[in-house]
Amino acid sequence: MSDQMVSDTASAPAVARRRGLSETWFAWLLIAPAVLFTAVIVAWPLLETVRLSFTDATINSESWVGLANYHELLGSAKFYVVVGRTFFWMALSVSLKLVVGLIGASLLAAAVPGRALFRALIMPPWVIPIAIGCIGWLWLYNGQFGFISGMGQRLGLLDGPFEFLAYKRSAFYSAIVTDVWVGTPMVSLFFLAAMQGVNRDLYEAAWVDGAGRWYRFRRITIPQIMPTIISMALLSAIWTFNSFDIIYILTQGGPRGGTTTMIIDAYKTAFGNYNLGEGATRAVAIVVLLGLFSLAYLNILNRVNRHYGVK
Amino acid sequence: MKHTRTLLLAATLLGGTAVAAGATELSVILCGDARPADQAVVDKFQADNPDIKVSIEQVPWGTCQDKAMTLAAAGNPVGLAYIGSRTLLKLSKDDLIVPAEISADMVDKYQPGVLKTVSSGGKYWGYPHAFSTKALYINCDLVTKAGMECKAPETWADMIAMAKAIKEKDGVAGIGIAGKDFDNTMHMFLDFLYSNGGSVLNADTGEVTLDSPQTRETLQMYADILPYAEEGPTAWERDQMKDLFNDQKLGMYVSGPWARGQSKDAVPNMLVAPVPHGPSGASGTILITDSLAVFKQKDPAVQAAAQKLAAAMSSGDAQYDLDSSWGLTPIFQYEKLGVEKPYYMDDPFWAIFVNGISTGGPEPMVTDFKSLQGVFTAMIQGVMLGEGGSVDELVTQAAADLAEVK
Repeated sequence: MSDQMVSDTASAPAVARRRGLSETWFAWLLIAPAVLFTAVIVAWPLLETVRLSFTDATINSESWVGLANYHELLGSAKFYVVVGRTFFWMALSVSLKLVVGLIGASLLAAAVPGRALFRALIMPPWVIPIAIGCIGWLWLYNGQFGFISGMGQRLGLLDGPFEFLAYKRSAFYSAIVTDVWVGTPMVSLFFLAAMQGVNRDLYEAAWVDGAGRWYRFRRITIPQIMPTIISMALLSAIWTFNSFDIIYILTQGGPRGGTTTMIIDAYKTAFGNYNLGEGATRAVAIVVLLGLFSLAYLNILNRVNRHYGVK
Repeated sequence: MKHTRTLLLAATLLGGTAVAAGATELSVILCGDARPADQAVVDKFQADNPDIKVSIEQVPWGTCQDKAMTLAAAGNPVGLAYIGSRTLLKLSKDDLIVPAEISADMVDKYQPGVLKTVSSGGKYWGYPHAFSTKALYINCDLVTKAGMECKAPETWADMIAMAKAIKEKDGVAGIGIAGKDFDNTMHMFLDFLYSNGGSVLNADTGEVTLDSPQTRETLQMYADILPYAEEGPTAWERDQMKDLFNDQKLGMYVSGPWARGQSKDAVPNMLVAPVPHGPSGASGTILITDSLAVFKQKDPAVQAAAQKLAAAMSSGDAQYDLDSSWGLTPIFQYEKLGVEKPYYMDDPFWAIFVNGISTGGPEPMVTDFKSLQGVFTAMIQGVMLGEGGSVDELVTQAAADLAEVK
């Protein structure tokens, strides 16, 4: 059976040769659908965005302006504030997701009665549509009718109603909380899967040697799942960097730009004010910054993988 | 026999498909809540024009105009859209809409100033379909509870004193001030600016006139009244305030005539008054219209159907039904259309809104209406959040930013 399969597989280039195709062309033929898919879905929109960034395109007109959009963007102090805010948003949100996700995964991995139920219960934030979840959070953050402000007053923590989305700082951190709420379940489940792959013999040997829970977690669990942690951190960073719906539904980037990240800025410029050229310039800036960030991160990931012997 | 029946059924189905394929599909976007008066016109239109299939999509105001514009920009325009008239200039400049075919005999039937809100380059770019002026709604129970007589505040000083008394009585917000990133934050500010003799643009030259003592006084009034307003005004837009008002959590707020119907049961002891005036002007209001815009189509039949439906929806009879049932400032002078005793005649409530037409100011007409809104929001939120400098600096900055708006 096995020999037959090998023989079938080996004969594919031979079939191609019989039909007049060289092996190179046959290989190209095989990857052509993937290349076409990538070209249509990724390359063409990207190139079109880059082209638009050199124009002053609006809804129904455009003309070539060269580097004018880039000059204007890079010469604007607001741009650097937005970039700084975006990286702060990403760093804080991703860090919280990783920490809370790790704690959640550890609890879910624990051998307690009803473990399956707990695993199911962490799913809703990830499963329900983000828009629906955010509308729920809008109500929670409402100062006059919302749960959090009401409880705060009842417990004596607040003097009166507090509008969490009305002030730059509280709106920013409120959006972070919602983003962490949405993003943590997936991180937890990935960490849980990684934890379940750790060899139990390591824990037993450590336990026999008298290692405590914290020590085992720190010296066995964390190192063993480190490649997963790094991978999740990178993926989560990219998603969080481009997190649009949560901020837009909660604050539309306000008040006074206090929650405007790069993606919100790009959207508002392109589709709010219909300055498609300037919006495209911001989109290109996002691609460049995320590209650099990803390269640096992949470099770190490779080092970590080499350190832990992961291929 | 069996085959004959099958063939007949197939022929019938194919025939039906052919009829359906021959029908003109007219897609319509209506911003805001569904209105029975509009639906009645559409139903009659469908009955009278079986060859036109109208499909209506109701979209909340927050995203509606963006949706209509984005569809048009993507080359897939709706046939007809009910949108804010402020969008018409941009849509016309981008060649996405066609002029409205308002008949000459109807032109002088509109209220003064209404057609100006849809005019540019000697053409009407939309059928005005909803008109509003604003007034101050006061919860008299809260005022009397605060130890004051419930009478209309005439000046800003009176209004601030009333708001202060309500707030200091038991912590209830004295007044609702809109400050969210939303169009009616600008609209409410303009209600007060026009009640202080201020202006935004010179109507003839387009020159920015915002940087004026009147604007400074208006923004200063905002700064003075904010301690007695609702908590966190940058999170509130005007239409959300009715919930606070109805829940006895707000002493007063500025809104259109429709607010009476929204609050009459929850706040039976309600006083409606003209917008109080500032030190440099008389009571005024912003004049806003929303319009039916006909989008440019590749298929002339669709465009013709859209013009026909828009004309039906904005006809005298249809408008009267809409204005009177929905509680809108009359868009026509219905006496001129033969209505003997229009709903607003001899009614002190309606007199406040109708009188405002002659003293009101327009919504500024610019192409980049989103940036215009952004300039006002930044200025107003600046005073609310205490950043961006003093009132003087905020107004100067806003005027400079406005000069950049095309």
